[in-house]
Amino acid sequence: MAAIPLEHGLLLAGILFSLGVIGLLVRRNVIFILMSLEIMLNAAGLAFVAAGARWGQADGQVMFVFILAMAAAEVAIGLALVLQIYKRLQTLDIDLASLLKG
Amino acid sequence: MDIEYQALWPVIIVAITSIVVLLQAAITRRHAVALGLTIVGLIAAFIAVIGVGPLLPQSVGVLLVMDGFAQFFMGLIIAAAIVTAVLGYAYLRRRNEQREEFYIVLLLATLGSMVLTAASHFVTFFLGLEILSVSLYVMIAYLTEELAALEAGVKYLILAAASSAFLLFGMALIYAEFGTMQFGPLADALAAAEDLSTPIVLVATALMLVGIGFKLAIVPFHVWTPDVYTGAPAPVTAFVASVSKSAVFALLLRYFFVTDGYQFDTVMIALAVIAIASMLIGNILALIQENVKRILAYSSIAHLGYMLVAFIAGGDRALEAVAYYLIVYSLAVLGSFGIISLISPEGRERMSLEDFRGLFWQRPRLAIIFTILLLSLAGIPVTAGFVGKFYLVLAGVAAAHWVLVVVLAIASLIGIYYYFRIMAVMYARRDTPAASTPTVSLSGATLLGLLAAATIYLGVYPDQLLLLIRRLVLTL
Repeated sequence: MAAIPLEHGLLLAGILFSLGVIGLLVRRNVIFILMSLEIMLNAAGLAFVAAGARWGQADGQVMFVFILAMAAAEVAIGLALVLQIYKRLQTLDIDLASLLKG
Repeated sequence: MDIEYQALWPVIIVAITSIVVLLQAAITRRHAVALGLTIVGLIAAFIAVIGVGPLLPQSVGVLLVMDGFAQFFMGLIIAAAIVTAVLGYAYLRRRNEQREEFYIVLLLATLGSMVLTAASHFVTFFLGLEILSVSLYVMIAYLTEELAALEAGVKYLILAAASSAFLLFGMALIYAEFGTMQFGPLADALAAAEDLSTPIVLVATALMLVGIGFKLAIVPFHVWTPDVYTGAPAPVTAFVASVSKSAVFALLLRYFFVTDGYQFDTVMIALAVIAIASMLIGNILALIQENVKRILAYSSIAHLGYMLVAFIAGGDRALEAVAYYLIVYSLAVLGSFGIISLISPEGRERMSLEDFRGLFWQRPRLAIIFTILLLSLAGIPVTAGFVGKFYLVLAGVAAAHWVLVVVLAIASLIGIYYYFRIMAVMYARRDTPAASTPTVSLSGATLLGLLAAATIYLGVYPDQLLLLIRRLVLTL
């Protein structure tokens, strides 16, 4: 099996990352925003794996495991906050939940 | 125990303390006990920071390096965490939340910040930052009864996670290009590289700049600051403004000094633009605010801009100036948000300018303390803020960054206006009888008095602290 060149890995990661950023900017539903964040973080993880493969080191994959753990922690707290907001406002629309101004 | 790990005692003690407080909350819920354990743990960690001195500098594996620089910033962070814990106690006592968990996340956030100051590898950089951020999400949204706190928490979470993703992608690209994630070897790889302006390196640096810029809340990555500062409980705001920024700034200093980030001209130009924008926009937007927390939020954006001026100048003088200013700034913001948390009754916080009208006639001591802290933020002589700003300007002048220095001077002048506006309101008489203020906690008030005294002391006798900074920080 031929090795996948670094550029392909980074390109794929870059596309995924951009999709995540677009989702973050366009979506108004908090759940979808959290999903977009997840895509961005995993794109960065993929870039680490691709980079690690280029140098033949495990470091990239180690970093990916850390990113997975951290993303899970983040989403756990994110969903807890989303639940609280939904209980108060009966909506998941981030614009409707925006009160702080100035 | 290996000598390597002995140097890590401060970090280990804070980690153990967080577990002890966690177990205590599981067995019996006592607010005062949780505070006591936290304070004891933090003081033990502070003693350990001083105690590990003879072992330093000591690198711990490839991930962390304990040196005078880390020692200095760990000391600052632990001291600020103690202040936050005491303020948090006075604040939470009046509220019906589950209170003990606050100290657990506070200790974890402190742990993350301490890891950041000693990080010498992308892994510890990332881990420290995330331990700090994830704890901060909880702290900011801690009062789940209040919609504003929830909103601030969600906003911070979304933006912080996005900025972490940017930072990680930048790190991944650097790793892909140079094959190492350790600061030292990365410096060698950068020095050996023929061409540093390849697209990958440029994109990577830009992405990392976005990530760090967000954490420091500098323009144009500052939008979250006023909302989060307003929505979060006042003691948490104090923590975000002092500890999390000091830790990230410490990391930025170490990263730039070790890998010689100063060789990237584009980065330095970008930083100069960011510094100018932060100083001007921060101060100008602060002028039109009617809410004291928002004024302080915008002013903190400007203060980070001031520090960037010295940072851009580079060299030992910059290290000294930034380290000194971080202390001064932390004293002032901890104290200012401390005042807000002490005078706020149950429920809504007192934070609009009107709430401060006539504070002097009701609570003369608190008003005087607040005045001293505001004078320090404005950089008026006899306060520490003046000495701090003087060193920042000196660093800028020594490096002949005239534009930056001039903007700093103009921005400071604008700043004086809104600091005096708060003071004028405090000393004015109110027409209507004031709403009753809650009894101010004695420990909290004493602590704020100490902060104000330290601000004056450092403004009159800055020598000792400067000597300490020279001895510790310049080991970088």
